[in-house]
Amino acid sequence: MSSMFRGAAAALLVLTGAAPLSSQDYPKTPPAPGPLTPAPFPPFRESVLPNGLRLLVVESHKQPVVSISLSFPAGASVDPPGKEGLASMAAGLLTKGAGRRTADQISDAIEGAGGSLSAGAGADFLAINSTVLTSSLPLAFELLGDVAVRPTFPGSEIELLRTQSLSGLQVALTQPETIADRAFRRAIYGAHPYSRSEVPASVKAITREDLVRFHRTRLRPGGALLVVAGDVTLAEARRLALRAFQGWTGVSAAVTPFPTLPARPRTELLLVHRPGSVQSNIVVGNLTYPATDPRTYAATVANQVLGGGAASRLFMTLREEKSWTYGAYSGFVRRKGMGNFSATTEVRTEVTDSALRELMRQLERIGSEAVPAVELDAAKGSITGSYPLSIESADQVANAVANARLYGLPADYVQTYRVRIGAVTAEQVQAVARATIRPRAAAIIVVGDGAKIYDRIKDIAPVSIVDPEGKPLTPEDLAPKAVRVDLDLAALAVRRDSFVVRFNGAEAGWMRGVLEKTPDGWRYIEDTRLGAFVVQTTTLELDATGAMKAVKQTGKVQGQDAAIDVSYAGGRAKGTASAPDPQTGQIKRITLDTAVAAGTLDDNSVQALVPAFRWAPGAKWTFNVLSAGQGEIKPWTLAVTGTEQVTVGTGQVEAYKAELSGPSAPLVLWVSTAKPHLLLKIAIAGQPLEFTRVP
Amino acid sequence: MDSRRRLASLVGLAGILAATAVATAQEPARIAFETYQLPNGLTVILAPDRTTQVVAVDVWYDVGSRNEARGRTGFAHLFEHMMFQGSANVKKAEHFQLIERAGGNMNGSTNEDRTNYYEALPSNRLNLGLWLEADRMRSLAITDSNFANQREAVKEERRLRVDNQPYAGALFEGVYALADSTGCFPYAHSIIGSMDDLNAAKTPDVKAFFDLYYAPNNATLTVVGDFDTPATKALIQQYFGDIPRAPEAPPVECRSAFGTGAIRKVWPDPKASLPGVVLAYRVPEYRSNDMPVIELLATILGQGESSRINRTVVREKKLAQGAFVFANLFGPRRGPGNILALAISNTGVSPDSLEAGMAAEFARLVQEGVTEAELTKAKNAYRTQLITQQQQALNKAEALQGASMFLGDPEAVNTNWKRFLAVTVADVKRVAALYLRPENSLVLLITPGGTP
Repeated sequence: MSSMFRGAAAALLVLTGAAPLSSQDYPKTPPAPGPLTPAPFPPFRESVLPNGLRLLVVESHKQPVVSISLSFPAGASVDPPGKEGLASMAAGLLTKGAGRRTADQISDAIEGAGGSLSAGAGADFLAINSTVLTSSLPLAFELLGDVAVRPTFPGSEIELLRTQSLSGLQVALTQPETIADRAFRRAIYGAHPYSRSEVPASVKAITREDLVRFHRTRLRPGGALLVVAGDVTLAEARRLALRAFQGWTGVSAAVTPFPTLPARPRTELLLVHRPGSVQSNIVVGNLTYPATDPRTYAATVANQVLGGGAASRLFMTLREEKSWTYGAYSGFVRRKGMGNFSATTEVRTEVTDSALRELMRQLERIGSEAVPAVELDAAKGSITGSYPLSIESADQVANAVANARLYGLPADYVQTYRVRIGAVTAEQVQAVARATIRPRAAAIIVVGDGAKIYDRIKDIAPVSIVDPEGKPLTPEDLAPKAVRVDLDLAALAVRRDSFVVRFNGAEAGWMRGVLEKTPDGWRYIEDTRLGAFVVQTTTLELDATGAMKAVKQTGKVQGQDAAIDVSYAGGRAKGTASAPDPQTGQIKRITLDTAVAAGTLDDNSVQALVPAFRWAPGAKWTFNVLSAGQGEIKPWTLAVTGTEQVTVGTGQVEAYKAELSGPSAPLVLWVSTAKPHLLLKIAIAGQPLEFTRVP
Repeated sequence: MDSRRRLASLVGLAGILAATAVATAQEPARIAFETYQLPNGLTVILAPDRTTQVVAVDVWYDVGSRNEARGRTGFAHLFEHMMFQGSANVKKAEHFQLIERAGGNMNGSTNEDRTNYYEALPSNRLNLGLWLEADRMRSLAITDSNFANQREAVKEERRLRVDNQPYAGALFEGVYALADSTGCFPYAHSIIGSMDDLNAAKTPDVKAFFDLYYAPNNATLTVVGDFDTPATKALIQQYFGDIPRAPEAPPVECRSAFGTGAIRKVWPDPKASLPGVVLAYRVPEYRSNDMPVIELLATILGQGESSRINRTVVREKKLAQGAFVFANLFGPRRGPGNILALAISNTGVSPDSLEAGMAAEFARLVQEGVTEAELTKAKNAYRTQLITQQQQALNKAEALQGASMFLGDPEAVNTNWKRFLAVTVADVKRVAALYLRPENSLVLLITPGGTP
C-alpha cells in the first residue's frame, strides 16, 4: 500500500470512531510518512527604482516583523592584491558612522527600537541586513539609507576594527581548520582572487582612502539588490526605498569575469606540517562550475548522498563504522565565477592514511556507480523535507530570495526547488559527480604532524610539504634533528636557586632549587608552590656528564595528586607518571617504557643545567626532551635572542635573553652573561606569569 | 494605509530624533493551545497552526541536575546522551538518521531544572517525531556497554566543550560557587557533573534513575504547528497511552536561597590566551516578580552595541575586547539564579583593571539607575525577540513548555510579556540596589595557562 493510502486509512479509522487503539497497535517500526503538504513560497513582486536599484518584496503578514537585505557585487574577490580584507573591513565600518550620526547614535537608534542592523562581506557580495518590528520600518530604511549611501569611516573606528580583526586573525591562523581551508583555496583557485585570504600584513595595509574608494566605486544602486520580506507591501517598500535612497546614483564597478584556469592533470597532495598535532585535518576537492550552472540540483542530491549529514556515506563509514572521526562532510560551494566541491574531515593522527584512503574510495564510488534507488530517494526526501523549515521566518525568506537572485539562479528557483530536486535521476547524479568530484585529479590538503604521517601517505599521491606559513620543507625537515648538548661540566657547582613567582605583578608563590654533588654525579631538588594550585617537589638524579639517571616528582596540581617516577638506563626510560594534560588540565596517568637517544634531557633538567650551557650571543641548541608527565619526546630549541638588563633584588644585571620553544607554553629565559651563568628570570610567553631570582 | 500604519510612520520619523520611539502597540500574537492529561500522567499541550507546513514535537522531562544527590552528579546530563542510543524499536544512532532523512532537525539539552528533546519536521512526518519520543520514553536500551560508551562520550564532550574551550570552565563550573552547597546542593553543582561520580556509577543506578524520572507522569509533550488536532490526539494515545506511570519523584530540597558573602577566586584556564573576568550576583527564582526587571537590567548593562558595558569597558576604555551580561545563562530555574557578566581582556590589560572597570559600571547603575530611553530600548528588544522567535514552531513549543514549568501555566506564554512592559525606572533602581551588591557577588579572575 502506498504511503498516501496508509495515511488516509489511518485518518479514516480515527474519524469513523473505529475500535479504540490498544497497545497491540503500537508500531514496532517507524511509521510511514503522510502525504507531503504543499509548501508554497510566499508570492513576491519585483520593481526597479529609477536609480537602477532592484527591489524585491516578499509579503507575509503572520507576524509584525520585516527583514531587509541590501546586497552589492562587492565581496572579497575584489580586494586589491596586498589589501585582502578590504571588503570585510568596509562592511564592518558602514554602521560605525554615517550621515550626521556617529556609531553610538546609530546603535542607539536601531537598538532603541529593538531592531538589528549589521553588514558583512563574503567572497562575492557585501550585504547590509536589518530586522525590525513593522512599526520601526521607516527608521530601518532611514538608517539603511545613511549607512549605504554616506558612511563616514571615522579614523578611530577604523583603528578599533583593525585591532579587533588582527586579534581574531591571530587566533584563527593557529587553527588547523583555517590553515586547511586557506591551503585548499590556494591550491584550486591558482591566481584568481578566490584563492587569497586576509593576513595581518594585508589588514595593516588598508587605508582610509582604500575604504572610501571601495565605497564610492562599488556600493552604488546599479547592480545592487534590495530584498524586503515580511509584514510589508511592494508599494510601501518602494515608497520607503525611494525616500531613503534619494540622490543615490551610479552603477557598481564591474567584477572581472572568472578566467579559464588550466585543468588539474592529476591528484596532488599538500602536507602542511604542524609538529605535535594530535589530529589531521583533511580537505579533498576541485573546481566545479559557475553559479548559474543548471546541474546545481543534481549536485545537491549527490552531495546529500555522499556527505550531506549524519545519514551520508562519509559520515556512516568514517564515523559510525570506523570511529575515525567525529565528523566527515562534503559540500558544493556556490561562487559567482567558479564554485568548488570539497570533502573534509578531522581525524586522529594515527588513522590519517586509512581515513584518507577511505575518503578517496567514496569519492570514486559516487562517480563510478549509480546511486541505488532507496538511497537516492532518502537523499531527495531529506532535502525536500527540510524545505519548509528553511523558510519559516522573514529573514530566512529574505536570504533565500536574495541568494537566488544574486547568484543568477533561475527566476523560479526558490518556488520550484522541491519539484526540481524530486526530479533528479541517478544518471544525473553520477554525471555531475564524475564531472566535478574527479578524485584522480583532485587537490588533497592534509594539515597534521608530518613526522608521523608522511611515510604513510606519500604513496596516495605526489606530495609536497610546507610549514603553516607556506615555507617549503623537505621530508628530512620533518624529523627532528636533535643533538647531545655539549656541556661545560666544569661550570657546574653546588648552588641554591630561589625564585619568587608573580602573577600580574602580585606575588603568587615561590620556586626553590638546590644542586648537590653525589657520589656518581649530581642531584637537583626543586620545590614549587603556586598559591594553592601547585605544590610540587622534583628530584633529578644526573650522572657526572649531566645525563639523566632518574626523575621523581611528587605533589599536587589543582588539588589532584601528580607524581612522576622514571629511571633512565641502557638507552630506555621506564616508570610511571601522572600529570595534568597541558591541553585539557585533566590528570593523565601513564606507564612509560620508551627508547631514548643519548643526550635526551628531562623537561626539568634545563633549569638544573643552565650554568653548564655555553652561553654566548646567537647561541642555539636543539635537543630531545622527554616530558615524563606526558610520555612524549620532543625536540626543544633554546636560542639566545639578545642581551638586556634584568632587575634582580635592588640591582641590575646584564643577561642573555633566550627563547625556549618546545614546552607546551614557550618560555623566555634570562641568564647572567657573567659566570656563573645563573638563571635570573623566567617568563611564559604572552602571559603575566614570571619567576624572578631572589638574591 | 490604515491609521495604525500612518501613526507608525509618523512615530518612526519622530523616532529618528528621539532615538527611542515607543513603538506602537505591536503585541506578540496570541498562541492558541489546549492542554490535557493522559491517565498515565503525561501532560499534553497542543498548539495547531495550519498556516505553516512545519510541526515541532517537544518533550520536557522534569529532571535536571537539581535532582542529583551528592556523589551522583552528572546523571541527568548523562541521560541526555543515553536517550540517543537506541530503544526497543530504534537501533543505536538511528534516531538522528531517521530525522535527517525526513528533512528535520533535532536536539536535546540538559540544564538544572529540565531535560528537553525536540524535533522540527515537515508536517507530514509528525507521526515519526511522536513515535521516536514514545519509543524511548517506554523502552530505553540501558546496557553496560551503552552506559560505558556514553560515559566516555560525556567525558569527551567535557573535554571538547568545557576543557578545550577558553572561558567555558568558568561559566560551566566556576559560577556555582555563588550557591550554597550545604543548604541547596541541587543548585550548587555543575550540570555536566563530576567525572569521579560518573566513574563510580553502576548500570543499576542509571537504570533506577531512568525508571523514576523518564516516565509519562514526569513529562510534558508539546506539539506546535501544522497538524489536525483529533488525529494527533489519537496518535498520542496510540503511542504513549499505555506507558506505565512511575512513582512520584522525591521533592528537591533547597532550604537556603543563597550562599552569602562576597566570593573572589582565581580561575586558571589552560585554553585562554588572555585573562578574563566573570562577575556574578545571586538573584531569586525565575517566577519572582523581580526577574523581568533583572532581565531588562541585563540587556541595558550588557547586550548590544549600545549597552553600558560595551560603550564604556569595550569601546571607550578599551579594557575588554568583548563582554556580555546575561541573567540565567542556562535558562530559567525554579531555584535561585544569577546575573552574570563575562569580559575578555584586551592584550596588556590585567584582570584587576578589567574587573575594576566592570564593577564600576555595575556600581554606577546602582547609584544612578537607568534612563527612560534605556528602559524603552530594553523592552523593545525583548518584544522584538519574542515576536521574531514566534515565527518558528519549535520556539513556540519551547515557550509553552517554559511557561508551564516555570510560571505554572502554559497560558503565561500569552501574558508574561506584559510583566516586562510594566517595569518602571524605579523598579530597576530598587532591584539593582537589592541584588548588585558586592556582598552578594562572585568574582572569578580567569588566568591564562594552568601551571608553568
